[in-house]
Amino acid sequence: MFLYIDPSKCTGCMLCEAFCSFKKEGAIWPSKSRITVLKWEEKAAFIPFTCLQCERPLCAEACPVGAISRDSKTGAMVVNEKRCLGCKTCVLACPFGGINFDEEKGYVVKCDLCGGDPECAKQCPKGAISFVHPDRMAPKKKREAAAKITSLLEVVAPVKKEEGEVA
Amino acid sequence: MNYGYVGKCARINLSTGDITIADTPEDLMENYLGGNGFGAKILWDETGPETDPLSPENRLIVATGPICGTFVPNAGRVEFVFKSPLTGIYGDSNSGGFLGPELKFAGFDFLVILGKASSPVYLHVEDGRIGLKDASHLWGEDAVKTEELIRKELGDEDVKCATIGPAGENLVRYACINVSVQRQAGRSGGGAVMGSKNLKAIAVRGHGPVCIADPKRFYEVAVRLKKLIMEDEFYPAVSAYGTPGIVSLMNIIGRFPTKNFQRGDFPYADEINAEALRENHFVKDIACYACPIACDKIYGVFKGPYAGAVTRSFEYETLGSYGAGIWNRDLPSIIALGDLCDRLGLDSISAGRAVGFAMELFEKGIITKKDTGGLDLTWGNVESAMTLTKMIAKREGFGAVLAEGVRRASRAIGKGAEYYAMEVKGQEIAAQDGRAQQSMGLAHVTSNRGADHLKAFPTIDETGYPSQAVRRYGEQYLPELVDPQATKYKAWVVKDGEDFAAVVDSSGNCKSGGTFVLAQVYWSEMAEAISAATGRNLTSDDLKEIGERIYNLQRCYNVLCGISSKDDTLPKRLLEEPSPSGKAKGQVARIHEMLPEYYALRGWDPETGRPKKETLKRLGLEFCIDRGAAS
Ligand code: SF4
Repeated sequence: MFLYIDPSKCTGCMLCEAFCSFKKEGAIWPSKSRITVLKWEEKAAFIPFTCLQCERPLCAEACPVGAISRDSKTGAMVVNEKRCLGCKTCVLACPFGGINFDEEKGYVVKCDLCGGDPECAKQCPKGAISFVHPDRMAPKKKREAAAKITSLLEVVAPVKKEEGEVA
Repeated sequence: MNYGYVGKCARINLSTGDITIADTPEDLMENYLGGNGFGAKILWDETGPETDPLSPENRLIVATGPICGTFVPNAGRVEFVFKSPLTGIYGDSNSGGFLGPELKFAGFDFLVILGKASSPVYLHVEDGRIGLKDASHLWGEDAVKTEELIRKELGDEDVKCATIGPAGENLVRYACINVSVQRQAGRSGGGAVMGSKNLKAIAVRGHGPVCIADPKRFYEVAVRLKKLIMEDEFYPAVSAYGTPGIVSLMNIIGRFPTKNFQRGDFPYADEINAEALRENHFVKDIACYACPIACDKIYGVFKGPYAGAVTRSFEYETLGSYGAGIWNRDLPSIIALGDLCDRLGLDSISAGRAVGFAMELFEKGIITKKDTGGLDLTWGNVESAMTLTKMIAKREGFGAVLAEGVRRASRAIGKGAEYYAMEVKGQEIAAQDGRAQQSMGLAHVTSNRGADHLKAFPTIDETGYPSQAVRRYGEQYLPELVDPQATKYKAWVVKDGEDFAAVVDSSGNCKSGGTFVLAQVYWSEMAEAISAATGRNLTSDDLKEIGERIYNLQRCYNVLCGISSKDDTLPKRLLEEPSPSGKAKGQVARIHEMLPEYYALRGWDPETGRPKKETLKRLGLEFCIDRGAAS
């Protein structure tokens, strides 16, 4: 299961950041959120971004002490806080900015899919974030793309009716 | 440890450059809650009848509230309080966007700005630090562009700003404050106050937390309120259309002021309603901080003479003031006029009303092309409306007359122009005709910032949906309460709305969200959310008292500024000329049926309109008696 994010549905409300930081830090603290809504205000482009839980996790490969590993239950890459040296190599290795160093804690933090029940997906009011099985991703995308052309279906259906092809 | 509040405030003296940071006073948190209440108390303490609103002595208070920046739905509002250059009395304006939350993440509950900088500056607030930066290169720049330039200059896409445009710089009395990105604290002339201080912008960035006293309870309350709002029967419509969604409805009930309130219906309303907007101009839904609704939209014009115009926060009001109000059925031009006002930094309500007022004077022959510098102000002349709007912002020619607001302009013009000045206490009336909804007429009259629909915000009886009314007030007030023409219970609805709105505007929550427009969140829900956030155990009754205290304090400030019951009235047109329109046909605004009851409910003297001593004592406002504001 992974987080499927559709930026076209995002309104930029930041509820995902607020809820994420609350779950992880116990305070509303967007700068500590594991998901970040990247904003280009003038263009009104909002792109929620978080760790992609890569199949080839460069963060884990880069970590000299093996502090990052995959949670077999959720598939998330998780940080062993006790083992983390705070050397930030993983932060440098990740091409996406999916992992970050927390100065106060002294170790790195990242999205861990909330143990299989991600808060951001639960709280996004516009359905821009969903937690889906890889098998379902392409069909979901197909359906959404197809929905945009359902106007065509609506044109076609009544015609058929008139011709008596549809009861 | 601070909960809900972040615990610090700052005072910035632009004349001396002194900046002091202090703890947020306990008295303010306990008795005035936040935003609107903080501002009212500080304005009361530090200014008075002698303060010239455009002098360095005026204050600009930028304040958040205890749930602002949290995930209580719609908790992203920021409040600006100042003495109004438009009305000469108490003034405030509230905005959504992201500035309020950012201020809290930067560690401040509120800022008090005073003095006047010797040259243009902007305020830079970041994580507990505050500095002044040169803004000479930004002076003259449009309000929306200014924010973009500041973000570039500071090298941070996430900086949130409050800015002014040329209208604020030129001290147009209804200049607005533009707020992250193209939203506005529109009313009462806050932009002119910033301009008078040589303050081009306030730029804020924060990385800190807002801590919560009772996390478990708070989470439960916030998630429950979010669900209530998203399951509200009107959620889909408000989400899809925002405030323009009411154009058609207001037109049917005759509450959509047309030709400067000559009538309340616009025959071409279908050409400028929400459906027309959505179909031809919709670009994207955008939300303010923590808002599950996203009533805000981006609308664009893609072809024709106004191609390229883009607006955000394009509201029902602009469709009223620059559409029906000036007999303009050309939707692309209204979008362009909205965009123009935002960029110039003009309140599109007051500016559009000023143009409508001028068009009516032109129709009546009170002014001619000689007065307007050759401009043809025939109803619906869009090009003239554009030109005049620019002239207002620059205070050029006839624009300088209108830049003073319709009250001052009508007095300067004379020849009976006063009759057509559609204002209360000097502030232009929004697209809310009191003849079509009696509570709305009263709301304009009793609003502490002059004509205004948002102080009492009587939304429940405007459309007459009994289900909403029963949920909020109970069965016992039906059927009168939902009858827009009935005056029974309306004094109470207005008073209750004013107190509740004062609390909402003090909390950091939004009146267009779940509190008034969707009407799911009321006293007890607000009390729950604020209590869980702050750890202060507030009941509905505690909040009602705080709301009343704030409202009375603002009234006392106005009393000191010379306001009395004589000023609690509407323009003659609304009191005497029966509406020719729709369901309101034949009706006038019957405020005199409601005012005595309103004063009684408020504990104000019906003769003078001043709060009685016992009222002020009950609310802990003895200091208002000491300063001579009581009856
Ligand atoms: S909660 Fe959803 S709509 Fe809001 S910012 Fe996050 S992804 Fe976007």
